[in-house]
Amino acid sequence: MVNWKSNVFPGILGRTCDRPCEPACRRGRVEDEPVAICRLKRVAADNKEDITGRLPAPVAVSNGKRVALIGAGPASLTVARDLAPLGYELTLFDGEAKAGGMIRSQIPRFRLPEEVIDEEVGYVTGLGMDMRLGERVDSLKALLAEGYDAVFVGSGAPRGRDLDLPGRQEAAANIHIGIDWLSNVSFGHVDKIGRRVIVLGGGNTAMDCCRTSRRLGGQDVKVIVRSGFEEMKASPWEKEDALHEDIPILNYLVPKAFTHESGRLTGVLFEKVRPEFDAKGRRSLVPSGEPDEHYECDDVLVAVGQENAFPWIERDIGLAFDDWGMPKVDPLTFQSTLAKVFFGGDAAFGPKNIIWAVAHGHDAAISIDKFCKAEDLAIRPPPGTSMTSQKMGIHEWSYDNDPANDARYRVPLLDKGEALKDVRLEVELGFDRATAYRETQRCLNCDVQTVFAESACIECDACVDICPTDCITFTENGDEADLRGRLKAPALNQDQALYVSGDLPTGRVMVKDEDVCLHCGLCAERCPTGAWDMQKFLLEMTHAGGSCR
Amino acid sequence: MPLEALNDFVVKFANVNGSGSASANSMFAKAILRMGVPVAARNIFPSNIQGLPTWFEVRVTEAGHLGRRGGVDLMVAMNPQTWDRDVAEIEPGGYLFYDSTKPLPASKFRDDITVVGVPLTAMCNAAYQLPRERQLFKNIIYVGALAALLDIEIGVIEQLLAEQFAGKDRLIAANVAALHMGRDYVAEHLSPLRLKVRRADKVGDRIFVEGNAAAALGAVYGGATVCAWYPITPSTSLAEAFTGYCEDLRIDPETGKARYAIVQAEDEIASIGVVVGAGWNGARAFTATSGPGVSLMTEFIGLSYFAEIPAVIFDVQRGGPSTGMPTRTQQADLLAAAYAGHGDTKHPLLLPADPGECFEMGAQAFDLADRLQTTVFVMLDLDIGMNEWLTKPFEWDDDRKLDRGKVLGYDELEAGVEFGRYLEVDGDGIPYRTYPGAHPTKGGYFTRGTSRNPYARYSEEGAVYVGNMERLLRKFDTARRLVPSPVLRSATRSTREGVIYFGSSTPAVHEALGSLEHAGLHLDALRVRGFPFADEIFEFIAAHDRVFVIEQNRDAQLRTLLINEGEIDPSRLTAVLHYDGTPITARFITETVTRLMSERTPMPEAAE
Amino acid sequence: MTYITKPQLHHPQLKPNALGYTRRDYEGAVSTLCAGCGHDSISSAIIQACYELDLPPHRVAKLSGIGCSSKTPDYFLGNSHGFNTVHGRMPSVLTGANLANRDLIYLGVSGDGDSASIGLGQFAHSIRRGVNMLYIVENNGVYGLTKGQFSATSDKGSKSKKGVVNHDAGIDLVSLALQMGATFVARSFSGDKNQLVPLIKAALSHKGAAFIDCISPCVQFNNHAGSTKSYDYVREHNEAVNRMDLVPARSAITIDYAPGETVPVAQHDGSVLHLHKLAEHYDPSDRVGALAYLQARQALGEIVTGLLFLDPGARDLHENLGTVDVPLNTLSERELGPGAAALAKINASLR
Repeated sequence: MVNWKSNVFPGILGRTCDRPCEPACRRGRVEDEPVAICRLKRVAADNKEDITGRLPAPVAVSNGKRVALIGAGPASLTVARDLAPLGYELTLFDGEAKAGGMIRSQIPRFRLPEEVIDEEVGYVTGLGMDMRLGERVDSLKALLAEGYDAVFVGSGAPRGRDLDLPGRQEAAANIHIGIDWLSNVSFGHVDKIGRRVIVLGGGNTAMDCCRTSRRLGGQDVKVIVRSGFEEMKASPWEKEDALHEDIPILNYLVPKAFTHESGRLTGVLFEKVRPEFDAKGRRSLVPSGEPDEHYECDDVLVAVGQENAFPWIERDIGLAFDDWGMPKVDPLTFQSTLAKVFFGGDAAFGPKNIIWAVAHGHDAAISIDKFCKAEDLAIRPPPGTSMTSQKMGIHEWSYDNDPANDARYRVPLLDKGEALKDVRLEVELGFDRATAYRETQRCLNCDVQTVFAESACIECDACVDICPTDCITFTENGDEADLRGRLKAPALNQDQALYVSGDLPTGRVMVKDEDVCLHCGLCAERCPTGAWDMQKFLLEMTHAGGSCR
Repeated sequence: MPLEALNDFVVKFANVNGSGSASANSMFAKAILRMGVPVAARNIFPSNIQGLPTWFEVRVTEAGHLGRRGGVDLMVAMNPQTWDRDVAEIEPGGYLFYDSTKPLPASKFRDDITVVGVPLTAMCNAAYQLPRERQLFKNIIYVGALAALLDIEIGVIEQLLAEQFAGKDRLIAANVAALHMGRDYVAEHLSPLRLKVRRADKVGDRIFVEGNAAAALGAVYGGATVCAWYPITPSTSLAEAFTGYCEDLRIDPETGKARYAIVQAEDEIASIGVVVGAGWNGARAFTATSGPGVSLMTEFIGLSYFAEIPAVIFDVQRGGPSTGMPTRTQQADLLAAAYAGHGDTKHPLLLPADPGECFEMGAQAFDLADRLQTTVFVMLDLDIGMNEWLTKPFEWDDDRKLDRGKVLGYDELEAGVEFGRYLEVDGDGIPYRTYPGAHPTKGGYFTRGTSRNPYARYSEEGAVYVGNMERLLRKFDTARRLVPSPVLRSATRSTREGVIYFGSSTPAVHEALGSLEHAGLHLDALRVRGFPFADEIFEFIAAHDRVFVIEQNRDAQLRTLLINEGEIDPSRLTAVLHYDGTPITARFITETVTRLMSERTPMPEAAE
Repeated sequence: MTYITKPQLHHPQLKPNALGYTRRDYEGAVSTLCAGCGHDSISSAIIQACYELDLPPHRVAKLSGIGCSSKTPDYFLGNSHGFNTVHGRMPSVLTGANLANRDLIYLGVSGDGDSASIGLGQFAHSIRRGVNMLYIVENNGVYGLTKGQFSATSDKGSKSKKGVVNHDAGIDLVSLALQMGATFVARSFSGDKNQLVPLIKAALSHKGAAFIDCISPCVQFNNHAGSTKSYDYVREHNEAVNRMDLVPARSAITIDYAPGETVPVAQHDGSVLHLHKLAEHYDPSDRVGALAYLQARQALGEIVTGLLFLDPGARDLHENLGTVDVPLNTLSERELGPGAAALAKINASLR
């Protein structure tokens, strides 16, 4: 339920997330790879028992406020999740027949089975709201006229960028916009593609396109990218998955023209470039001077980016847009210049990813709730926190303090031959329970803090000696820059504050560099006087309602 | 009627300790040997440096009976303090040789013996001025006199003197002069006795050597490099002999440096500690001690057993318990050695019967210790250790390799051979070990006397402990097949009675068996040479109705061990025990066994 | 006491030494001693010293007796061979091991019960023989494993945790080591690694019998008021006569003290000790003076620490015995066995 409340879509995100959390994982500071947080969320979602009984029941009594949600994607659904239990009357609009937005339309089924979408979207829609599916909002003005107390725009970034190159029109029949094509595949409108396919673009959509192609008859599928391999926008693991499915990725090739013969696409011509760095280290791509290269193909999928599009928002209703055609949205409150209209997800600040859309949704829901109650939106309620000692015995803690030495586990995949046969067959099998448990044991317990009480310390050095990562130093005090250099291991991560005690009997202080602390609790176990304690820190993120008040 | 004997009599010298008699007496014995007549010579000495009584007994035995016979035919009574009992000990018809300088009343003599007086002191006082010279040359003078009385070739003694004082011509001349002085006195004043030595050819290529020296030499040939010891009679001369042999044989010819290290430790505990440390670190190491030392070493012996560290202990047994009779012989450490240590422990014992076997087993013990990774005892006693015995010459095969046992070196570890210090691999109970420093990352382990698992990690888990103890038993069973096997000496006709014996009792037992057989008492005989006991030993017991177990202690320790290890019915084993501190004699064995056999239903042979 | 295994995860900046080992590579199993035990700090100092000296861990042999201190060799240099022998007898085992292979570095770890009571004799004799070793006594003045009885190094008049006053004179192991001819003698405190680590390094580099008496408070049984081996008491009464650094043979000398205060002392292995004087007039090359100084200061209730005596040109047991340069445990059959011909001569001499 923690997962559901915060992430809203644990099963979906556990398969598809861009994982902005994993680079922050502290395991990555002491080892190459962070904990597989994303895939563990999937394990939690897949292995849960029936939770329907734990979900809030539809609220019987309205609070009298009506909110319209435009687009049934992750942002809107998050707003709905947060507001529905508070008694808001919600109306959810979407042009498609089923809720889910890009989750349903753009993410291939072999990565995300439809049942998972149905289940997790269903938990939200089941909270009780007016579902206006198949009903695309054409005019915000008209909608506002219906007297909603607030409107949330979560309509996404539905337009795929095109490439206007020579031959584009002539060969149009075999040149497809990536997200549209993916959507057509998802909804069953497209079920095959040519034998030779070129995917243009280096983002995750490109990866979805090429892998989908492999499942729809594409045998010779290539991804061709302007940039170098490392700079590609696609997540490293998605590139890896593509390579695993025998899809070569060719870099430093800029498309110049689509070649065609008698109205039929024959291939794409590329200019070869190389990176050049200026004095500031900025990269630009310059022609390498080598001859252009031509790659033959039967179909091209263009996946070079997405754009927002708001043709349905009238420009005279008081809602301001910037020079790029994007609405002006407050980054904290997600409020537009029209007070009752809020934006979130890709619709707010351009294409990002699902987890950001969820975060926007949570914040926008707080804003809408406060707005409807005529409170100041700028005053954001702080998250709830608490600290609890975890000590149970001489060497027993109420948390798992023994981090495993294992390297990150790989998620098992379906046999390649099998996987490529069916576009709807989920390719990642997910961790089994035992592997998932072992992976969780890699966690360094960021939630558990080392708390030092200098009054109890006898300076016996036991904590210094046992610390596996040389976090603790007893030394003369000094200013931070000086201290950082004098520690048992220099504290190089300036973003991580030092923990410095008050003066001890010998005149020294205890300095702890939290940067690579494992929270293994050995310092506290070895401490004869209990000067060290391990305390669990609990952060309760603010959601609409509840702690808001 | 004066005794008459040719090449078969016993001479006993009664001396005062510190009077320099030992080398003269030894020369007397060696002279007879040089004439091709076997001798068995024994020192009987006190725990004292100067002044207390000491005896030297020489059995002249062309028949080659190297045990003590019992009784004295000629007493050389040079010690007034022991005069009375020395005279009393002479066989009827025997002879008394004494220093007649001081007149003695008739009551001091016996009627049934022949008294031979030589005024040794008077002669010395006349010939020498310095008191020390008078003392030392007196001994040579009586050797000269005895030579004349017993027909020992004087030239042989002259040759021995020349060898002993090689390069010191003045000393040779002086000694020869003293020798002649004694001989000439007899020639002028006395007539030869009816005890005669006559040149024979019964010595062959045999050598005359102490067991301690032989064992020490065995240690040299067995590759021992570290010796730690603490002086204790009767083992001291073993460590000293090792030192001497090493100085001769173990110096790096290029650098002149020592290929050995000998430490005279502060006590027996430190001695065995050094041995265990060196054994742990891959050197062959030993200590030499006696019963009291074994008592002190017991904790370390248990460690060696449990942590499985090679060590060799030469236990030269003496009379116990406690300080006991420190200069007398016994075979009384058997149980203490076999089961040394608290908790369940047992250790291989090697039981040499003469200096030749002391050499062989002295070398073999190191192979066994390395192979079995445990303490191996070589059980000498004072009789073998400190007396020169006529024994077969030492032999060594230059192709013989030292068996270093199961040791994994750098190459095996690097190749990834699985290593568990206490892991059963080959089914023989013997695990593999590594020497410290063998490999940078593999093969390191922590040695401890506490219970641990096959990978040497601390464990007090019952099953783990029992598994280890059971493996140690299997290892002990492997030892059964590796220790020297027993030697069978069958009677000339089939019999249901037998004897079991070991060690220094051997020559006396053999002589007694001859006498018994002569008297119609036939016994099969089995000499035990190692512990754990070979199957043949228990088969021998099973094949006989009654087995006499002959040993030199009060409590029948070998018998106890046999009963315990073989689950033998005690009534099948009859103890024959001699433990007064003197070496067991053939007469004692013959008489005891005869009596014991006659107490039972007489055997048909005996009835004839 | 801790039962989880210390995680292998380590600080990403952990530096390898010249052999490519990090400090963590010199660790052993997790200690089973009480939390806050001074012995663990000494283990940690040994780890640090071996790491800084670039010692190949497997070339160190660790030996100990019985007791809390003697358990510690399990807790450092996990790839080295160790030997937890019997109570008070580590010195003889170490001596034997040393005789077997003179090429290894021998580290004897003992306690005050192990060395000052049951093993006083072996302690003294191993030192007077000049065994090439570092002998550390982790001195807490108390029997820990049997729960708090006085040991022989407990100072006369000190109080046990139960309030009993010790009437027996304490044995001063440092003075004894000096009398027994130790050629490197130091005292330190487990709570002062800045002093202890360089001392251990210097002692490990010393050829001959090196002894360090390291006061190591027993948090459980001897860290109360009235104890003379508590953290507080030692900190208050600690009088260091010098500080030192060890400069390995191959390094350029960069330490720079004011002239006159620092004495460079060349060690046998080519390394140089830089002794920085703290007590005026203290001369660590004067054995007799050191003894007198120790007695005088002890009478004042002070605990003298630092490098107390050093004879950099000492001879060790192997030199005294004149043993060959190669380890005895590597000698071959050919080098050990005199052969049949030599035996024939011996036989001849015995006829």
